[in-house]
Amino acid sequence: MNLDFSRVALMVFFFVIPVIGIVLGQNSPALRGRIPLVVAFIAGIIPIIALYVPKSFLSGPEGMSTRLDQWLIIVAGFALLLGVVNVLQNSSRKIARKDSGWIYSAVLLTGLLLTGSFGIWGAISGHGIGFMPDGSSTPFKWVEDRIFQPLQSTIFSLLAFFMASAAFRAFRARNTEATILLVAAGLVMAGRVPLLEFLAAPFPPLQPAAAAGSRFLGGLTEWIMDNPNGAAQSGIIIGAALGAASMAMRIILGIERGYLGLGAGEQT
Amino acid sequence: MNRFFEWLLNLDRRWIYLLVAVSLITPIVVPIGLPVSTTASTRRAFEVIEALQPGDVVWLSFDYGPSSTPENDPMADAFLRQCFLKKLRVIVTALYPLGGLGLANNSLARVTAEFPGLRYGEDYVNLGYKDGAAAVMRSLGESISKAFPADQSGRPLADLPMMRGVQNIHQVKLVFTAATNLIGEYWITQAHAQFGTPVVIGPTAVSAPKYYAYLNAGQLAGMLGGMKGAAEYEKLLREKYPQLDQYYAQTRRFTATKGMDGQTVLHTIILIFIVLGNVAYLRTRGRRRREPA
Amino acid sequence: MSPTFPGIGIWVSALLTLFAFSFVYKDNPFFRFAESLFAGVSLGYYVGIVLNQTLMPNLITPLTHDFASNWDLIGAGLVGILLFMRYAPRIGWTARYALAIYVAYYIGLEFTRRIHGEVLPQLSRTIQPLFPWTSTTFASLVFVVGVYSVLVYFFFSKEQNAVTRRIARVGIWFLMISFGAGFGFTVMGRIALLLGRLNFLIQDWIYPALGI
Repeated sequence: MNLDFSRVALMVFFFVIPVIGIVLGQNSPALRGRIPLVVAFIAGIIPIIALYVPKSFLSGPEGMSTRLDQWLIIVAGFALLLGVVNVLQNSSRKIARKDSGWIYSAVLLTGLLLTGSFGIWGAISGHGIGFMPDGSSTPFKWVEDRIFQPLQSTIFSLLAFFMASAAFRAFRARNTEATILLVAAGLVMAGRVPLLEFLAAPFPPLQPAAAAGSRFLGGLTEWIMDNPNGAAQSGIIIGAALGAASMAMRIILGIERGYLGLGAGEQT
Repeated sequence: MNRFFEWLLNLDRRWIYLLVAVSLITPIVVPIGLPVSTTASTRRAFEVIEALQPGDVVWLSFDYGPSSTPENDPMADAFLRQCFLKKLRVIVTALYPLGGLGLANNSLARVTAEFPGLRYGEDYVNLGYKDGAAAVMRSLGESISKAFPADQSGRPLADLPMMRGVQNIHQVKLVFTAATNLIGEYWITQAHAQFGTPVVIGPTAVSAPKYYAYLNAGQLAGMLGGMKGAAEYEKLLREKYPQLDQYYAQTRRFTATKGMDGQTVLHTIILIFIVLGNVAYLRTRGRRRREPA
Repeated sequence: MSPTFPGIGIWVSALLTLFAFSFVYKDNPFFRFAESLFAGVSLGYYVGIVLNQTLMPNLITPLTHDFASNWDLIGAGLVGILLFMRYAPRIGWTARYALAIYVAYYIGLEFTRRIHGEVLPQLSRTIQPLFPWTSTTFASLVFVVGVYSVLVYFFFSKEQNAVTRRIARVGIWFLMISFGAGFGFTVMGRIALLLGRLNFLIQDWIYPALGI
């Protein structure tokens, strides 16, 4: 059995300490908030220190940070499934009570259980969730290609209708700032497509001028994107990044605890 | 005239929806064939890929879902075609949870069918989807097999000839991420920042404006912005590779170039909407101000 | 070569697409059916990909094939399962440990990513020499003024005075140009989605059904 430092350390920090914390927390509500903060600090500080401390026990091929990355790929998978349990509970409750719209909850559950079963079958049978060896689709892939992808694409595509309607009804030059926004939007929209060539298509003598105009608009659009837009985006990125980095430090240091959902007797 | 503007402002929005649908259906049924002009960001992306040598390993990450296939699918397909024509070796992954894997499988199936001489495991591999994109990228700096112990169908990496010489991301010459939102950003701000691997991004048009900041700061080797970027990339490929020119001219499949016709028509109509809407607003606002209370 | 008549899969996709499109006329049971089916299938999709692409190759197979080298992954699996304890009424608080590990780890990555991947490179792009004056210096000046004024606008820790208010105003103009440009790009993005679906209905369903 491989008992190198990284494996043992991770098990101590993220298995043994939580188990001790759960046992102690049964009788002491105050510890239910404290010990998770310690665990959070360790989990957050390891990847940061590993970036700056090139020691093999930390950031080497079998280091703690490297092994922790593998752990958290697995934990992220479980986290993605959290919503499934929530929806199963809520939909089952709705169907059992025959609440308004319960039939749609039944449709939802049917889709969930059918697709999930195909996924589980793929894992157990070894056929997976892609193509079969003969090139045909697995049941999971068929549902993905014929139900999931078309529905997701279509539901998002509805936005085009609403956006066009909003552009007509709500996009108004009410003040200086709105006018700047409107003009920039108009220039970029005109510069990103061969709009002048399209308008000049029925008039051949105008086409060279239209082509030149399109080139000018295209160049202007690129200048707007590179400079005023690039500057604003850069400012936003810097500001947001500094805010996010300081929030990250607050969470790791245990100053920010809202994500733990601590109750009245559990605040530290 | 004012009555016309009042009527316009109170128009049932479903007539607008109908006009939108008709303006997009018409160029599909009757293609126009409008020209596509290229921009510097796309030319940079194309040239950086063209500069790679046969045998170089590149990484194609499907970081988008069905909500942006008309924009990102053409980019990914075109990138694969360029790689296979240049005899680059391609590692394909998907890091977007809601549909990335299926799109990766479909894209590979489409494009590899056009290149019958390709061999899986030697010319390209599909490592599939993995959760925890940020953790995956950190792992790649040390070892690809720590994040992806097997390919998409469960075959261990050690059994894939191409992967024997590729331990980690440092042996990869370029990452191309066809992305919607965050995961594309991770490739730039985490993978490139930490390992220095050149990144080309094909974002959706919605997120493309943000990436100009990264492009200007030298964090990106190139960018294909939305469907227009994909159309520009297709144009550059057609100019460089005559066999692709023929393919794009004859295929029934949806391509970004074909999509630009519909884009142009609807952009024109929306611009007219905006102008009309503002004229109507200003006229009726002026009239409401003049009318006694 | 004329296209073949669309198979059952294309008909299913086309009908579901039309059900979803029916919402633009008004809300109706067909749309709600499609919406509910989509929600259910999406969640089932998560089950399939997580199980096949992460849990099997990264957890179950290493534990079953080489337990001696991978025994510690049991800890990862247990942390993952602990996340689900939040749904158990009396012991829900135990999920905090899993949540603490998950959130704090990714926040730790976020910290380094933000500093090294965003703040430092963006700041270095902003600091540009003004002399010697070349063709790109004006653009660099616009860029610097833009970044600085936007940062001043977003500084809310102190009340703005007459000077910073004017600088912030310039920042707002840059932001408006950026948002306007962003709207222009967004229009293209949304149209692309609709184009894709209409193209599918016409090229992949209607035309083959009519033998075109």
